[in-house]
Amino acid sequence: MNLFQPEPRGAHTPRPTLRSDEPQGEVEKGSMALLEVENLSVTYAPRDAPVTRAVQDVSFRIREGEFVGLLGESGCGKSTLGNGILRLLSPPARISGGRVVLDGVDLTGADEERLRGLRWTNLSTVFQSSMNSLNPVLRIEAQFAETFAAHRVGEEVGARVVELLRMVSLDPGVLRAYPHELSGGMRQRVALALALALRPRLVLLDEPTTGLDVVVQRNILDRLATLRHELGFAVLFISHDLGTVLEMADRVMVMYAGEIVEDRPAPDLVREAQHPYTRGLLGSYADPRSAEVRVSYIPGRPPDLSVEQPGCRFTPRCPYAEDACGQRRPELRPDDGGLVRCLVAQDGRLPRTPAGAGPGLPVFVGFPAAAGLDRSADPPPEQAVGDPVLLVDDVTKRYTTRRGLRTTSVDAVRGVSLALRPGRVTALVGQSGSGKTTIARLVTGVERPTSGQVRFTAADSTTEVRVDRLRGRALRDYRRHVQMIFQDPFSALNPTRTVGYALSRPLVNYHGLRGPAVRERAAELLESVGLAPAGQFLDKLPHQLSGGQRQRVVTARALAPEPEILIADEPVSMLDVSIRAEILELLGKLVRTRRLAMLYITHDLLSARLLADEVLVLNHGDLVEQGPTLEVVGAARDDYTRLLLDSIPNPFSAARRPG
Amino acid sequence: MLYFVRRFAFFVATLWAAVTLNFLIPRLQPGDPAEAIVSRLAGRNEAIDPAQVRAVRIMLGAPDGSLLEQYVQYLGAVARGDFGVSYSYFPYSVTHMIGQTLLWTVILVGVTQVISFVVGTLLGTWAAYRRNSRVDSIITLGSTFLGTLPFFWLALLLIYVFAITLRWFPERGGYGGGSTPGWSWLFVSDAIQHSVLPATALLITGPIGWIIGMRNNMVQSLGEDHARLALARGLPRRRIALTYGARLAILPNVTGFAIALGGILGGTVLVESVFNYPGMGRLLLEAVSNRDFPLMQAIFLFTTIGVLVANFLADVLYGVLDPRVRRAEST
Ligand SMILES: Nc1ncnc2c1ncn2[C@@H]1O[C@H](COP(=O)(O)OP(=O)(O)O)[C@@H](O)[C@H]1O
Ligand code: SF4
Ligand SMILES: [Mg+2]
Repeated sequence: MNLFQPEPRGAHTPRPTLRSDEPQGEVEKGSMALLEVENLSVTYAPRDAPVTRAVQDVSFRIREGEFVGLLGESGCGKSTLGNGILRLLSPPARISGGRVVLDGVDLTGADEERLRGLRWTNLSTVFQSSMNSLNPVLRIEAQFAETFAAHRVGEEVGARVVELLRMVSLDPGVLRAYPHELSGGMRQRVALALALALRPRLVLLDEPTTGLDVVVQRNILDRLATLRHELGFAVLFISHDLGTVLEMADRVMVMYAGEIVEDRPAPDLVREAQHPYTRGLLGSYADPRSAEVRVSYIPGRPPDLSVEQPGCRFTPRCPYAEDACGQRRPELRPDDGGLVRCLVAQDGRLPRTPAGAGPGLPVFVGFPAAAGLDRSADPPPEQAVGDPVLLVDDVTKRYTTRRGLRTTSVDAVRGVSLALRPGRVTALVGQSGSGKTTIARLVTGVERPTSGQVRFTAADSTTEVRVDRLRGRALRDYRRHVQMIFQDPFSALNPTRTVGYALSRPLVNYHGLRGPAVRERAAELLESVGLAPAGQFLDKLPHQLSGGQRQRVVTARALAPEPEILIADEPVSMLDVSIRAEILELLGKLVRTRRLAMLYITHDLLSARLLADEVLVLNHGDLVEQGPTLEVVGAARDDYTRLLLDSIPNPFSAARRPG
Repeated sequence: MLYFVRRFAFFVATLWAAVTLNFLIPRLQPGDPAEAIVSRLAGRNEAIDPAQVRAVRIMLGAPDGSLLEQYVQYLGAVARGDFGVSYSYFPYSVTHMIGQTLLWTVILVGVTQVISFVVGTLLGTWAAYRRNSRVDSIITLGSTFLGTLPFFWLALLLIYVFAITLRWFPERGGYGGGSTPGWSWLFVSDAIQHSVLPATALLITGPIGWIIGMRNNMVQSLGEDHARLALARGLPRRRIALTYGARLAILPNVTGFAIALGGILGGTVLVESVFNYPGMGRLLLEAVSNRDFPLMQAIFLFTTIGVLVANFLADVLYGVLDPRVRRAEST
């Protein structure tokens, strides 16, 4: 049987899928909106902190079958808005005004039983972290079964579930599994299948692929696009990742500081964004394959929403701000083809996109371009680059695990060679599990290779150190020369210690500094990573800093022992896209001014393209491609490299769409 | 399956280690092991009574053979439950004395522990289900208040009100002077009469920890993403509370409960001495004050075994309840 025959429960007619060439953006006439959000406001009123107005006066509509993106940096209120629509807010959050109307029913006023009937049959959702969104002690099949049971769907449930799993390209075998037995990508597919189980009319996806590998993300996004065309459900797609949203959505709403600031069909947004914030976000993206790649960033952070602020909330970060912006609050007003909340744009005085900026090069006037990251310049001639400080020579690392009597062994890394040179960045690219981190561990001496050598030569010496043979004291001495910057700036710092303390440790341990000299040197370090004036930061605790600032502190700490090699393991992947370029710029500058050799580990080819001189692509422990960045990224020869490149969401595909 | 086999192997290994340590420690010291035990238990400065040394020597069995022979004999004795003769209850054997008191303790404390756990878990679940409501406040504040009362004070209050003033229940002991222990109706009802006050005291304080633990764990689980998604899926509130709240919240308590049960054998000194109840706790107290070393040794060994068995059962139960543990251990 066809699973998705109209249901007995509600006689809604099969819905035609919308095409993106229909007029959109403005309040639709004629066609009835599926979801209407009217002046919705949400506040957090915790007992021990000031009231935060996380969502303010938000209104929009979603039509049947429409795919709408909601874009914005983290902390702008996207999830809060989503949870408000889903009626999932719990204290201290509450809806402080407005309505959410789904298919004519006011969800904000509905009582619990009414709401329960509407849930999932009309409105379903996928959360960001599917690890936590499934019950850890129930098998997958039980979680499907309870969903059907809750809505009294009895017949042919088994066949249905198998069909649902097939739709998300999963084997029925996963039904017997517990959530923790599945990989992140598989869990996210299960979550998607679950969301479609009752054939909802609107699916709300909150960062559904954030944190997944590009290739996995690509599969899920492709499945989603196909299913949505087959089944015709509408989508509200929340993400901070511009590439994904612009590629997937028909229409994009941009949210800043609790408000919608722009709302426009995706192709128009790419071509001619009207709000300065949107332009700033667009500037942080570029196609890594273009001959010339330039990105910009938005300085600063979104404002604190517990403080009333007159005028436009983007003023402190806006390169187009005028005097009036600080006093008059702009309204969300229609312009041609969309809505925008900006005084200058509404007057038609916003500078146009620079001529000649085609897709792939969307840097707008005004935003600070990440200097020193313009890798299009000729690569420095080989002899200008010093001798390698570190050589990894034909290294293999085999891990043997014993399970009962059987032993299995995997080669995490097989026959890899690479060289790190002062003032140069070598990027190691690959999916998770491809062996990137193992190489980092071999370089730091934490692991020893099964075969092959790791050799280190300090800049001021000619003696070679065999890192793969170091032990005890000698190993500790060596570690001083190799410092790490980790992915998660939140867990890399002790939450109970001040920034000054974090920096003082290596200064005391490695340089034997004492007394006021420690603080002085710590202040210098902070200024060298752009945290100035340092006095402001020395006594702060990690939670008082933003993610970007924390990553700078972590970087300063890594610089403290004056290392020769810096290993950065996904240093920007947990940061907002809008500030990544800023951190990459810092790293690039440090490498060049301090003559550091950097091993940059990432699965993100754009950042590798921006920062690295040389790229190594790893696949299941094998080095599949290696060479100067532009050559590898611009003209990949290996299939796997091409797969990685093709998986990157491309917002400009929307611009290329007819429309 | 592998998980359970592993846990069992671990249990057997620790049990063996505990029993062996009990054998080795007195022998590691220079000199006569019996003397060593006596002086260890008696304290450095006291004179050693030769009679006691003799009693311990009997318990230790064949002190003349090689260490290995002694060890084999000792293991045999432990397996048979033969711990020698009690010094203070001569001529009764240690095993006899323990057998006399074990049942009293196991019944009184075991039953009240189980009831406390069940009641505590249910109340905690209810409070979490109706969190931030009046029910929640009454349960949480009430148990916090009761938790601040000292146990012996509560016990004495019960004795004063219900035994001395109202004369509803006997004041002390496990059974009346008139009845002879046995499985007669007369004796059993008398024993139940005697157990009411100590049981009440244990039941008032027992559930508090479980209530608070359960409530807090469950409120936390209900705030997690999977519970929110369950709500979004339109599952009935009650099902969410049970499968997404209580089912997960109870996991950490299961271990705590099993360990509490294991601790019964040694951990009831307070209640048994206040109510003068003929259980293991009081026996231990008497053994200590009478310097009855064979008895003390045996009780300590018993307690250790009790805790180990309880830990093993907790592991098994945890493995049954939480699929994540099974998997994590078997890889
Ligand atoms: N539990 C909470 N208590 C108080 N404030 C919160 C809480 N959760 C979120 N906020 C505030 O709400 C704002 C929006 O958060 P969120 O909706 O998570 O944004 P996004 O999904 O866009 O990252 C943030 O600025 C944050 O300060
Ligand atoms: S109103 Fe002014 S500050 Fe706000 S976005 Fe427009 S130009 Fe910038
Ligand atoms: Mg969010």
